[in-house]
Amino acid sequence: MGETVGNLIGLNDEVIHPAATLAVEAHNSPSKQFLVKRIKIRHDLSSVVVFAFSGSMLPKDWSGQPTFAKTEIATGEFRSLTSLNDGGDAVVNGSFLRRFKDVIGNLSKAKELKEATEKKRQVVFAGYSSGGPIAILATLYFLEKQTPSPRCLTFGSPLVGDRIFGHALRREGWSDYFTHFVMKYDIIPRIMLSPSSTEHEQILDYFKSKFDRKNINPAPPSGFYLTVMGNASSVASYEACRLMGCRNPSLDIIKSFIELSPYRPSGTYVFCTGNGNLVVVKNPNAVLQILVHCAELGESNTAEVEKRSLDEHSAYLSELKDCLGMQAVVSLDGGLATATLNDLGLSPQAMLCLQAAEEFENRRSRNLENFREYLEKVEVELEKMRKYKENAQICRLGYYDSFKLQNEEDDFLANVSRLELAGIWDEIKEMLKEFELPDDFEKKREIIDLGTKYRRLVEPLDIANFYRHSKDKETGAYVIGGGPRPKRYRFIQRWLEHDEKKSFGSRSESLFWADVEQLGIDIKKKGYLQEIEEKIQQVERNLIAWIGDRSLDDDVLLENSTFVKWWRDLPPQHKPESDRIEKLIGEKEKAAGV
Amino acid sequence: MVYVRGRIKRGRRMNQDPLFSSAGELANFVVASNLIDYDLAKNFEFQRCQTAFPCSVQPMVYHPTPNRTIVVFIPSPDCTQYPLPEGGDLVPSPEFKFLCTKECPSVSINRAALTLFLSLHDHLSGLKAQLTEREGQLIITGHSLGGSVASLFTLYLLDSMDKKRKCRPICITFGSPLIGNFGLQHSQWNSFFLHLVSNKDPVPGLFLPSSHSQTTVYKPFGTYLFCSELGCACFDNPDLILKLLAVISSEVAGGLLQVVDYGEILRNLKNKAIWKGPQLAGERFTEPFSAGIIMKLETIGFDQTKLLQHNIDIRRMEAEARSLTKKTKASDIKELNDIKKYMALLEWYKKKSKDAKKGYYDCFKSGEFRRDIAVGEFMGHLNAYWEDMVAEAQWKPQTEGASFRTGWLFSGTTYRRMVEPLDIAAFYRDGGTDYINNGRSQHYKLLQQWYEEDAKPPSRDQLDSRKEKVSALLTEDSCFWAYVEEAILSCESLKNANSSPEQRESSWDNLVMFGEYVMEQIENYAVSPEIFLEESSFMKWWGEYEDYIDTNRNFYSSRLVNFTKRSSYKQYGRRAI
Repeated sequence: MGETVGNLIGLNDEVIHPAATLAVEAHNSPSKQFLVKRIKIRHDLSSVVVFAFSGSMLPKDWSGQPTFAKTEIATGEFRSLTSLNDGGDAVVNGSFLRRFKDVIGNLSKAKELKEATEKKRQVVFAGYSSGGPIAILATLYFLEKQTPSPRCLTFGSPLVGDRIFGHALRREGWSDYFTHFVMKYDIIPRIMLSPSSTEHEQILDYFKSKFDRKNINPAPPSGFYLTVMGNASSVASYEACRLMGCRNPSLDIIKSFIELSPYRPSGTYVFCTGNGNLVVVKNPNAVLQILVHCAELGESNTAEVEKRSLDEHSAYLSELKDCLGMQAVVSLDGGLATATLNDLGLSPQAMLCLQAAEEFENRRSRNLENFREYLEKVEVELEKMRKYKENAQICRLGYYDSFKLQNEEDDFLANVSRLELAGIWDEIKEMLKEFELPDDFEKKREIIDLGTKYRRLVEPLDIANFYRHSKDKETGAYVIGGGPRPKRYRFIQRWLEHDEKKSFGSRSESLFWADVEQLGIDIKKKGYLQEIEEKIQQVERNLIAWIGDRSLDDDVLLENSTFVKWWRDLPPQHKPESDRIEKLIGEKEKAAGV
Repeated sequence: MVYVRGRIKRGRRMNQDPLFSSAGELANFVVASNLIDYDLAKNFEFQRCQTAFPCSVQPMVYHPTPNRTIVVFIPSPDCTQYPLPEGGDLVPSPEFKFLCTKECPSVSINRAALTLFLSLHDHLSGLKAQLTEREGQLIITGHSLGGSVASLFTLYLLDSMDKKRKCRPICITFGSPLIGNFGLQHSQWNSFFLHLVSNKDPVPGLFLPSSHSQTTVYKPFGTYLFCSELGCACFDNPDLILKLLAVISSEVAGGLLQVVDYGEILRNLKNKAIWKGPQLAGERFTEPFSAGIIMKLETIGFDQTKLLQHNIDIRRMEAEARSLTKKTKASDIKELNDIKKYMALLEWYKKKSKDAKKGYYDCFKSGEFRRDIAVGEFMGHLNAYWEDMVAEAQWKPQTEGASFRTGWLFSGTTYRRMVEPLDIAAFYRDGGTDYINNGRSQHYKLLQQWYEEDAKPPSRDQLDSRKEKVSALLTEDSCFWAYVEEAILSCESLKNANSSPEQRESSWDNLVMFGEYVMEQIENYAVSPEIFLEESSFMKWWGEYEDYIDTNRNFYSSRLVNFTKRSSYKQYGRRAI
């Protein structure tokens, strides 16, 4: 205990309440897209600049087609919001995205933003209710642009993105920049766990009239709680099954008959328990369980809770005024404290779900630990491979061609290493798919480096094996989208490309041999067509560039290698880069001769 | 009875402690979603409209959305009130023979359910044809005996349905009695069945003996969702399901079969799904698995005393759950790569042995080198893996097992041809005789049987290409070396002065047959040229055999004798180079 919210989320406590006030004000000022305010911090005289966004309670701004307004987001400005492991792009609510796009033009041009950047002031994007999603997307937009990290504060915001969305945020290390305040019963943060329905519209209508005509109390809708929370509960139970390692295969079958909401919480959640205590949770699975379970019905009757779920959406300012700065804040991530759980009012079943969420996170860390020994093994095998490659050069053949011939014991041993390594990396690939490793695994420097080393050293052997057995006759060329190229290489390449912020497919140096082999086959089959001509030139340019940046080893230039033989056989008019490549071959010869 | 697959135990286990039971969450997932409302409502709507037929079941098809088809089997009212005029006897059913597994070699079905199903047979085969065409979701459902017929119809559909069909059916029954003596625990089909049972409904457990000293042949399959006024829980452990059903039946008995209103039960459960329950969380649970199970069993009316009274042991369930720790796709892939690696290592061993002019069969048999010992280890891994794969196929219903194995039969065959000779070598090295009858492992027999069921006789072209490649091929008949060993024993028996004339005669017959067999293999390019290596057992046999013929049967001639004497074998397999 003894910490304040500000400490836990890395923002001064003095900012939170003014930001909330501005967010509520902005939400109810539809004539302006956003409001700006500079807040001075008393003790160090620095300033924080808060941007808060307006909201809308029109159903069209919340839902859309297809169901849940599901929209894939990872393009252009949101290029990081994707899975690097075949999980597809992140999905966000398309209606929220549209509203964000309406705002971003003016926001980027805002003079307050420029000024804040120039004077190195902390920028905070804040949003209340439907202003929240815009604040979230704006923060991401600037994080992608690598401007000094902005912060995001939301109050009673609906959910914006799916599981991949949250995964990408944590992978990029951005998750901590987002803080979401949620009241114990507030219906709005839960509403996106349920498909849009007449109940949704009733709720939005109610708030619309309430916000539009501030002084009149509109009649609250009723009967929605069971529908909205029932669907939310189904989502939470489904996720709990997965966390608990449910072995019953019926789970997947049943799931295929139910359209669950894709949206999941991400970032840090601060739950306002209503008795002055705040509970801070970062584990996204735990957040989902708390979000659903703490709003379950207890002793009080449904109508009472239903009313509370509406009222609490308007209670953020008063609630936060009371509990900010006080030290009654507990972080759940260090372990589940009983006292706090009582504040949240959770059932024993909910407790089990939370334990499962906690255990899942622990298991991921343990899996990573277990991998240390695995990664050491990768190093050992790679070292063997490196020696194999070095020895092969002595015969002026290169390991690619030596491996393709498979005459020596060394070649055979290299094949065993290849299989050993394939097993390890395939296992890593599958574990990533199942989210069984920490989210930032694919961003870790050592992993990317090790993977790249592996890819550059071993993929040529997979290619050699492929063409040695003429597998192209069965499956088509080695490199075809979704074709025979083992997926592990595709992913490892993607990690590097993502890390270097390069486009997909730009780091394909490990495919050099496949290009050469396939061109040889195509020339035999079709002759020098225009397209083949272009490909030859591409191979030449690639070779020069990759040898230049050392991403491709120069043993491809050995006199007896498949490449040199093939290239020498090309008629001169097909070799525009003839001089430079001859020179490279000559240099290699000289070096090898010594 | 519980069959724990060795493969799961062997796979690299990621840290799985502590363990949780998802009994409650799975149930909540189902009832809180909108999966069941719609069809259930319809189910009972139709039922109410039914006039008093004599006991019968009517299928009814409708499409609530363009993407969803629902088939409801509606029992007539007297059928629900007195669901089992003929009682619970089981009759053998050739119609469902496809459900046979190793565990259950002959399928029997409850007479009442089967009679109803067969009376609709013509109608249902038309319906089946119509449904297999349709895309989208298919829900098959029914109450009481209607649910039994729904289950049978679903099985019937699953058996004929194209595996690649995008959407599979789900069968949801309400208060349906058990239908047969077969389980589906090792089948994917198991996951297509969801049975709702109220703790006030005696019908599902009606055929079960009331005292637990008696056993029953009935077996449940699928997932059971038990519900009470307080909540619900899902279980898929057959033993537990049987016990719970039996207890419920015996408690509600007294002959009062009143129809349970599942519509009302579900409405209540939906409310309960978002209800905290009477107590709030206290301390965290130190044993989450048992805590979860106990809590959920209590919810459906089985408190600790009752569990004790009926001998329901949670510890055992936990142990079982642990031993069946979820097999992940990741460990599967790792294992597959390991298997590839062991095969590569064996291939290298084979190559090395060939260079030593002996062949891997004889190298392994003599076991002179260190590497021969290492080979034993690779074999161990490979055998364990394939024994499991074969067993897994056997535990599935016939048709499903057949499609399951097509995916790997090719690799399985390569494995059999590569590894079985080594098992034969070890067998004869240790002094065994008659491998085929005394030593051959069941899994080799099945692998061969399945291969032969699928294999087509080679065409002319294939024969030519085999001729080209024969030096790289493995001997097709994985028992080849066993025949060689038997032929050697026959030679010895012929030369042995102590052998009786009968023994000599049978040995000679054996040798004549063997000669024919070998020649046929050679003509089909079905043996590896390695058998002709100088120091191979085959050549050793030939030496003995030639010796015997030369001294005792000088005028004997056979195709093999001619082939070998003319040294034609030296050409065999040369072409490939």
